[in-house]
Amino acid sequence: MMNNIYKAFVDATQNVFNLMLNISEISDHPAGDFKCDDEIDIAVSIAGDLHGDVIYRFPVSTSLNMVEIMSGMQFEEVDTFVTSAISEIANIISGNVLTALSNNDMQCNISTPVLYNPDEAQDEDKNYELQTNRCISTTIGEICLEIRLNRTY
Amino acid sequence: MLWKDQYKLGVPLIDAQHKELFGRVEAFLQVLRSEDSWENKIPKINETLEFMKRYVVEHFHDEEEYQLSINYPGYEFHKRIHDGMVDYVQDVSRQFEQSTDNEHLMQQLGGRLLAWLINHVAAEDQRIADYAKKEGMSGNDE
Repeated sequence: MMNNIYKAFVDATQNVFNLMLNISEISDHPAGDFKCDDEIDIAVSIAGDLHGDVIYRFPVSTSLNMVEIMSGMQFEEVDTFVTSAISEIANIISGNVLTALSNNDMQCNISTPVLYNPDEAQDEDKNYELQTNRCISTTIGEICLEIRLNRTY
Repeated sequence: MLWKDQYKLGVPLIDAQHKELFGRVEAFLQVLRSEDSWENKIPKINETLEFMKRYVVEHFHDEEEYQLSINYPGYEFHKRIHDGMVDYVQDVSRQFEQSTDNEHLMQQLGGRLLAWLINHVAAEDQRIADYAKKEGMSGNDE
């Protein structure tokens, strides 16, 4: 069951990239070799039949490429506009996952996406039933998904 | 250009409104991202906020009427998404009225609006067209 949840995130990411950015070539792999000097980290909390967090790690180059494709404009650096657009995409992916889960009788809600700072993170040592750290590769760069969820009993 | 023909639903009124929305958002983003001074950008930003408050409500209403006319099963869910965006635009507009030097707020609106609009029209609204087509009631075949 928990594997299906991870798959729901990959499928949702794939759909969003396909529909919003016209990118259909996507593959996923473990995040072990994911290296990135600078990135936008967005956290979305989940509550309901599942609870925990999903951290979306968007490297700067991937983020700029995404915003440039959407807007048709040039972006040199990450600013409030870029962060807001990328946060909305994390929100859209998470929302699509919840819709997929609700079709399997699993009801959850998501919080508003927030910028995530690993240095201020809590619950880092907590155990999770589903704890996975994987990357999704696309033609415009990678995205790393850190999923930490428990079932609510 | 922000608008793409692939976003067409095949419902002339809705497609025309979507095209208008994309055009207005694009013009807003060009001003927002230009090198011009913030002071010079404010009139265009106010114009966009006024347009959004009025036109978005009007367009969402027309789109919801169309959904009802074809008995679209996702109507309630779709309406909640519309209501959420109307609340957000009204809230941002209120905040901007209180402080027009709040560039941060407008950049936030610009980024969110860009991603939201593309997803909404390219994904959520296409489901309406898919349903209409499945039920033999037009959709993507203008």
